[in-house]
Amino acid sequence: MASIAEVREPVLTGERITLHRVHKTYSAGEQPVLKDINLEIEPGELVSLVGPSGCGKSTMLKILAGLIDFEAGEVAIGDQQPQEGRRDVGFMLQQAVLMPWRSVRENVKLPFDIAGLKGQDVEDRVDQLIELVGLDHAVEKSPWELSGGMQQRVSLARALALDPKVMLLDEPFSALDEFKREHLGLEFTHMHEYMGKTTILVTHSIPEAVMMSDRIIALGAHPGRVVADVKVDLPRPRTAGLVGTSRFQEIAQEVREALVGEDGSIA
Amino acid sequence: MTTIDTSAQTRADEVLVPAPRPQKRSFLDSTPAKVLLPAIVLATAIGLWEISVQAGLVNPITVPAASDTFIALFEMMQTEYFWAATWLTLQETLLGFAVGSSLGLVIGALTGTFKVFRTAIWPFVVAFQNTPRVALAPVFLTWFGFGMTSKVVMAAVICFFPVVINTVAGLASVDDNARVLFRTYGASTPQTFFKLTLPTAAPISFAGIKTALTLALLGAIVGEFVGAAEGLGVLVKEFNFQLEVASGFAVVVFLAVIGLVLYGLIELLERRLITWQH
Ligand SMILES: Nc1ncnc2c1ncn2[C@@H]1O[C@H](COP(=O)(O)OP(=O)(O)OP(=O)(O)O)[C@@H](O)[C@H]1O
Ligand SMILES: [Mg+2]
Repeated sequence: MASIAEVREPVLTGERITLHRVHKTYSAGEQPVLKDINLEIEPGELVSLVGPSGCGKSTMLKILAGLIDFEAGEVAIGDQQPQEGRRDVGFMLQQAVLMPWRSVRENVKLPFDIAGLKGQDVEDRVDQLIELVGLDHAVEKSPWELSGGMQQRVSLARALALDPKVMLLDEPFSALDEFKREHLGLEFTHMHEYMGKTTILVTHSIPEAVMMSDRIIALGAHPGRVVADVKVDLPRPRTAGLVGTSRFQEIAQEVREALVGEDGSIA
Repeated sequence: MTTIDTSAQTRADEVLVPAPRPQKRSFLDSTPAKVLLPAIVLATAIGLWEISVQAGLVNPITVPAASDTFIALFEMMQTEYFWAATWLTLQETLLGFAVGSSLGLVIGALTGTFKVFRTAIWPFVVAFQNTPRVALAPVFLTWFGFGMTSKVVMAAVICFFPVVINTVAGLASVDDNARVLFRTYGASTPQTFFKLTLPTAAPISFAGIKTALTLALLGAIVGEFVGAAEGLGVLVKEFNFQLEVASGFAVVVFLAVIGLVLYGLIELLERRLITWQH
């Protein structure tokens, strides 16, 4: 029976993420998309970003991934600035974005190919990753033969490929149905608890945020700014049963209230 | 050390996928049906054609009987001029196709990749695409003469556009999220091209190439109609002038076969090159 412990040794070396007075405006003269964002995320912490559509959650992740510039402020992952192609940052999107001409195995291998890494080590690592996300029975399948949940598992394995210290997840489970979403969310939470990678998770689901996170950052829109920073003091490892506890509901309620008036769509 | 056992948990993905049931397949989906039904239609059509000519429903001077057509085809296939004409038309078609689709690929790739090209060239592509290009056949005859060149040019011009348009569309179909992903991995421009852009564009571009091959044959025949000494198009025209309609029909039937064979070959090539289409 496979366990993560057999699959690989834990990293437990997440990087600290710091945002200091960050400003972002897409077009001059318009209201900033992000205004005066200050955030400190501890190594190994899992932090959720929640907030109404358009409040700048994806923008924040793109800044951290080095995909876009920002006007003012300071951003650091570890002691370095964000930059494209940093191997210590893993990125996962709402869509699995798999290459149909590559098998499951080859999709997971993509980051190694781009980084120019090959050899038996890489092959072994790819096998381990596929086992980790529970797709060993589908290694040679093509993306279109997979269910949405399985596709997202491939995407997760690929994001973990180069053993990043930071994971940036932009609504990774939103395209899945409720049941799969809960299940994969919990599975990811357990991986996180084991691996200790610093993780930022963007989600529209408050229960998902409560279930998975150490902290929930609620953002308001126009301009995007932090309206609440809620600590989730539920015990780890998290279990599905926590949803029924009063503490879980209290935390969810606190987040909901922080967002009231920001946008009706969220609560 | 804590161990977390992932496999012990039920996997939602699998639980939700129902066990495959033996599917009820309709007879219409089976291979015998797919061969048999069209064969019946073809046989009926040929039968009706034959009967209506034999019964005097149509004038046999203008519409030859099916039997006469096939006899004419069989007789023609014993002659040397027929195979010479076939070889010439094939050469015109394939040369025109090679020139037109290679140029189409190059122009399409430039147009799809560089915005300067797109802005500068696209209006003309659209304009030409909507021009009946066969109208140029007489012009090409004047420019390139009675021989093979004017037909090659005609074929090339006709099959150029679908390749350009499909190549541009293919390049434009690259998923923005996939580009983002490649950027997060720090992929170089050549890496992004060979690992993402090219495989994304290839199936769409190839669909244009398939159309181009069929159009190239059309271009060659039109070129021959307008002015040539030899070729299958010339045979069709001359047989009709001489009221040897059975032979004229026979050449058309033969052209249909050539078209089908070419299409089959390019589809075979497609399946070998683009294995990830389903
Ligand atoms: N490339 C861009 N150019 C101009 N404006 C943009 C761009 N990307 C995002 N925006 C704008 O910036 C704001 C924040 O966008 P962002 O995608 O970060 O929001 P979000 O919080 O992720 O929303 P959602 O929950 O819908 O994903 C929106 O108003 C959006 O219209
Ligand atoms: Mg977003």
